[in-house]
Amino acid sequence: MKQRPAENIRTAIPSIEYLEHQLDNGLSVVMSRSKRIPSVAVNTTYHVGSKDEEPGKTGLAHLFEHLMFEGSPNVPKGKFDEILNNNGGDSNAYTTWDSTSYFICLPSSHLEIAFWLDSDRIAGFGITEEALRVQKDVVKEEKLMYVDNSPYGTVEDEGSKRLFANSAYGWPIIGNMDELEKTTIDDLKNFHNKYYTPSNAVISVVGDIDYDETIRMIEKYYGGISRGVDFKRNKVMPADVVSEQIADISDNVHLEGKFILYKIPESGSKEYYALNILSGILTEGDSSRLVKELEYDLELVNEIDTAVYGLEEAGVFAVSAIVLKGKSSDQVQKRIDSAIEDVKSGNISETELEKVRNRVETYFSSGRQSIVGLADKFSFLKTFHNDCGRINAEVMNYLNVTKEDIVMAANNFLNKDKRIVLNYMPKK
Amino acid sequence: MNKTVIKNIEEQLNRSIPPVPGKPKDINFPKFFETVTPSGITVLVIEDRKLPLVTARFVFRQGAYSDTSFGKQKAGLGSITAEMLTKGTSQRSAATIAEQTDFLGATLSTGADYDASYVSCYSLTKHFDEIFGIASDVLRNPVFSDEELQRVKEQRLNSLLSMIDDGDYLASRSYRQAVYGNNPYSFSVDGNSSSVASIEVGDLKKFYEKTYSPENLIVAFVGDVSPEEAVMRLESEFGNWHASFEELKAPEKPDMNSSAVVLTRKSGAVQSSLRIGHVCINRNDPDFIKVSLMNTILGGYFTSRINKNLREVNGFTYSARSALSSHRFGGDISVLTEVKTDITTATIREIMKEINILRESEPGDEELQNVKNFVSGNFPLQLETPNSIASKAINLKLFGLNNDYYNTYIRTVNELTKEDIRLTAEKFLHPDKLVFSIAGDVDNILDEVTEFGIPEIVEIN
Repeated sequence: MKQRPAENIRTAIPSIEYLEHQLDNGLSVVMSRSKRIPSVAVNTTYHVGSKDEEPGKTGLAHLFEHLMFEGSPNVPKGKFDEILNNNGGDSNAYTTWDSTSYFICLPSSHLEIAFWLDSDRIAGFGITEEALRVQKDVVKEEKLMYVDNSPYGTVEDEGSKRLFANSAYGWPIIGNMDELEKTTIDDLKNFHNKYYTPSNAVISVVGDIDYDETIRMIEKYYGGISRGVDFKRNKVMPADVVSEQIADISDNVHLEGKFILYKIPESGSKEYYALNILSGILTEGDSSRLVKELEYDLELVNEIDTAVYGLEEAGVFAVSAIVLKGKSSDQVQKRIDSAIEDVKSGNISETELEKVRNRVETYFSSGRQSIVGLADKFSFLKTFHNDCGRINAEVMNYLNVTKEDIVMAANNFLNKDKRIVLNYMPKK
Repeated sequence: MNKTVIKNIEEQLNRSIPPVPGKPKDINFPKFFETVTPSGITVLVIEDRKLPLVTARFVFRQGAYSDTSFGKQKAGLGSITAEMLTKGTSQRSAATIAEQTDFLGATLSTGADYDASYVSCYSLTKHFDEIFGIASDVLRNPVFSDEELQRVKEQRLNSLLSMIDDGDYLASRSYRQAVYGNNPYSFSVDGNSSSVASIEVGDLKKFYEKTYSPENLIVAFVGDVSPEEAVMRLESEFGNWHASFEELKAPEKPDMNSSAVVLTRKSGAVQSSLRIGHVCINRNDPDFIKVSLMNTILGGYFTSRINKNLREVNGFTYSARSALSSHRFGGDISVLTEVKTDITTATIREIMKEINILRESEPGDEELQNVKNFVSGNFPLQLETPNSIASKAINLKLFGLNNDYYNTYIRTVNELTKEDIRLTAEKFLHPDKLVFSIAGDVDNILDEVTEFGIPEIVEIN
């Protein structure tokens, strides 16, 4: 397999400067200066996600994402966001299978407030029974809203429990509600002690900052926190699906939905990039293969999309289609399958590749504009690849993908006998 | 269980005392280039050379509010006309437009909202001339073929079917009908199944003729482009564009209707989607800034009263907020949330309580200062990208606001007093006029909600 030499492909995307630092207690710091607006984004990512939970105690990682705003030793319940808003700032957070990220965005003159608030929640534990009780209810409503009461809202849960059966990627990130209900303050303290430690965290600061001053403040607020006890992370090692699994699921929807999932290699692997380019060939833009054929030429679908999810130990290649009323979902399935088989047999044109490369360049350029987005990206790269240089270099991993890379990845991983097919049917 | 302190620095650091922040840097809305071409096009240029990207945004001052001027049953016309622009011109077929656009790695999008119709193109600088040429073609030479229209209609009808699976959408749809009554803002921009089915090629051509013309157009160029280059490019593609233009009659300001309880049946719902509100001010109303700050206190940010009460104290919901939706010729203010079916009434009582408190008593000094700090501190983020600056500059022109508006905005916010907020709430919030729109498990809430009025039930087929 010949790798296209890097010097043949150039990109005009300007580089981003950044600086890395590590505290004695193991906290990784990434900083990047951008003076466009007098604001700064702080992203703190803990290397703990739903896959690190114990079976029977699911939902803890995500529950923490809520509770970290609900009280720490010096910031009582209800005060975190109030103090932050009062200082012109805002916050948010999200949880994945592998990590939990918290971000704060505020005027650069107020940066020290962000470090004070954020560090207090790992320096000590201040979550009360009352906060736990309320946030359990909030999480249950979150699940009702995004999963149970949302059309096709159960796809992620139904998909991962089959694609990652018998592994820690198999349970829902939000957790099983009956297990969540049983969570105690002691469970929280143990989880906090093990995972919410400097050596298990990355803090990325992007925006209108001075590097020396930022390091000084981070040392001041985080430097005195003990590194935590090193632990050995359990491997997920999800097994391959042994034969094609097809599930019919009835839902409160008017149009049939078809969701096809394949297990692929992890985020950052050669196959991950190759299949991302394939996803572009299949469904990015009105002229892409599946959109043109299924939505425009044959008028079989209302929506068709493909997506690649990169997890720490695996990935997912997902095809989703919403079928037009009165059209055959079997026909949709056949067309998707033959498009994938066509790719596997080597039918990819240079024009198609060029088209996706042009898109990648536009996408990477525009992705440099948000300080919140960049801080998130730095934390991700440091946490999972220990390589912030990818902020500038990663685009080449996409641009260098060859036709042979795609054909090989598709042949190795997009196979019928190892996939999950979910058919969402309107309830009668 | 607190972690062991290992360093002297920690002993010196007293975490119970919050750090004292510095003084925020002043921020002004960036200056931008502005001119009007001989053919009447308003041109704005927001030059920013940091990235090799250029965007051109075309904004025509007519949107869904004018759909019903073309016939009572034409809701969705503006939106479908915009969608049809890229479905074939006298120079290019729909497939060619898609192929050429995608090959450049560019984006060419079209659409309409209540107040305007849009076309936008976006690419790396090196491809901009080409994508701008395609944008110009779709704007000037669309053919509106019947074959393409049938396709677009079938897709739209299916999308509308899919949308009614969503409780939020249903609650908002019924809410708008009850709040706006006969006003054109009562319709959805996307139209409805019967209106979409009735749209024909002739309707599109009429809408196009009355909307897409130089005098009605604002063009914003954004990014890696100078004003000279932008104007030159525009003139070369549009300099000879002369279309007759006759402005459509603007709709009347909507009346405040009387209170109503509307229940929309959503089969299998486990939550109630609520939207509760009434008519409020237009976007260019002199009281806009006051009402906007009052809305922020009510439900416009995380520490707002609605979110604090419903989410943080009661755990009723994951998400609760209030929204001031002000358009060119009408507006409304509402509270939106989703809660478990069995706490629907309890939630509405809390919402009513917060609305009444805001009318009856002044906010505390600290609360008012907090919200002012939040609004001013958050403002720079709204100017983060050249495209977000462009959106704001376009709004100045679309809503007839002066160029200093955003700087005045922050100053005015900071001058408002506690009394201003209470008086604003008293003047613009009317608990006796609220429309309570609830989408969900109707049978299980029907009896309880009578405490807010006699319910009307909307069935979804």
